[in-house]
Amino acid sequence: MTVVMRLEDVTLEYPVPRQYRKEDIQPSGVRNISLEVNQGEVLGIIGRNGSGKSTLLKMMAGVFPPDSGTISARGSVSLLAGVGVGFHKELTGCENAYLYGALMGRTTEQIDGLIEEIQSFAELDHHFDRPIRTYSSGMKSRLGISVATAFRPDLLLIDEVLGVGDASFRKKSEDRVKQLIQDSGAVVIVSH
Amino acid sequence: MNASDKGSTLIPLWGKRSLHRLPFIVLTDLFRSRHLLRLLIKRDLNARYRRAYLGYTWAVLEPLLLAVVYTFIFTILVGSSDPLYPVKIIIGIIGWTMFARSLTTSTKSLSSSINLFQFARVPKTVFATSGTLTNAVLAVISLTCLIPFYFIHDLPITANLLMLPVWLLLLSFTGWGIGLLLAPLACKIPDILNLINFLVRAGFFLSPVMWTYDMFNSRFGDGWHAIVAHLNPTVVPITGMRDVVLGESSAIPGYGYAMCLTIALLGYVFGAMVFERKAHRAVVNV
Repeated sequence: MTVVMRLEDVTLEYPVPRQYRKEDIQPSGVRNISLEVNQGEVLGIIGRNGSGKSTLLKMMAGVFPPDSGTISARGSVSLLAGVGVGFHKELTGCENAYLYGALMGRTTEQIDGLIEEIQSFAELDHHFDRPIRTYSSGMKSRLGISVATAFRPDLLLIDEVLGVGDASFRKKSEDRVKQLIQDSGAVVIVSH
Repeated sequence: MNASDKGSTLIPLWGKRSLHRLPFIVLTDLFRSRHLLRLLIKRDLNARYRRAYLGYTWAVLEPLLLAVVYTFIFTILVGSSDPLYPVKIIIGIIGWTMFARSLTTSTKSLSSSINLFQFARVPKTVFATSGTLTNAVLAVISLTCLIPFYFIHDLPITANLLMLPVWLLLLSFTGWGIGLLLAPLACKIPDILNLINFLVRAGFFLSPVMWTYDMFNSRFGDGWHAIVAHLNPTVVPITGMRDVVLGESSAIPGYGYAMCLTIALLGYVFGAMVFERKAHRAVVNV
């Protein structure tokens, strides 16, 4: 079976805030994690709030560097979290879609081929060519989800992001993520 | 990571990079991310003047209006009789603004996009650089406000004018390098940003914006004052800009050029090393 991601003895600790340093508080974070994600696997990580699930996912996505240990990946890795972060209010929905796509590591040509699908999934109609400062928060989230789920990575990392929009859009997003899970090489999902 | 990284072997996400190669790695990373860099510059340019009725005209108007104010102060209140003084002030303002904006935008680059860096694997140097290059574009647009003075004062048009963008880029490069050096620290200690804001305000008066190299020389001569003055990396480039526009030749000593280039180069080399080593961890600790 092909390994798409390997974590070996990975540790990341957040520093203890200065005001608590005199107390005997253990730093939060994740310690000594080793795991492998294989091609075609869907791996679920559950735990309480603050147990380090999102930190682990961010390390797997290459967003946070570990203090020690190694993380290796094969192919493209995409993190579905913080949807819409990086949007600029003065740019149109279309311009933000290109920018957000570029931040996810996609080229203009790759986004060109998906821009109509992104517009139609986000259900923004003529608003797509207007600055997103004129959008409601639901419209911004729809645009974010639409771009974030438009690409098919080799390893998809999901951090509970889909509780946005009205009931029909939530259902549509869930269906889209299910499809994305089927199409992606492997998936890691984090939840409570 | 993106699809282009797709391969048949497992690749470490955080490969080891030797310290002395980091200044070159920063440049190759920027070249590799040129598509994102171009989009960020376009975003910054569009966003800055999109809602203004006068649009990019503001890039020309800003130094022009400031020059009117400073010329008024110096000619009316102080009594300067130099007819070229407004031109010297405009050049000083454009040069200083270029340096100050490069320094502040690259210093703030990590802290101002912290939300993004906590969710996306993006090359952080691109964000530190896009603000600097945006300001370079605006500075070049600002230079057009010098055109009327060529007709008014019959200024010389020579090949030396080609040095004008070179001096501007040197100012930009110096500010960018020092900003790279400070950015991880500013992310950890917000007071650094306040300190930079103060230094930029103070630096405006300590740099040759309202005064010229010749004014300084005639007042203090060539002694230790001159050596200390050349520690300010804007003195030589701004004077160089004035010289090529006005067709003059200020007596900048050889050590002045050497100090200016050394500060710019050291700023970049150490800035690239510190940024690449510390920036990734700095955004985790916020």
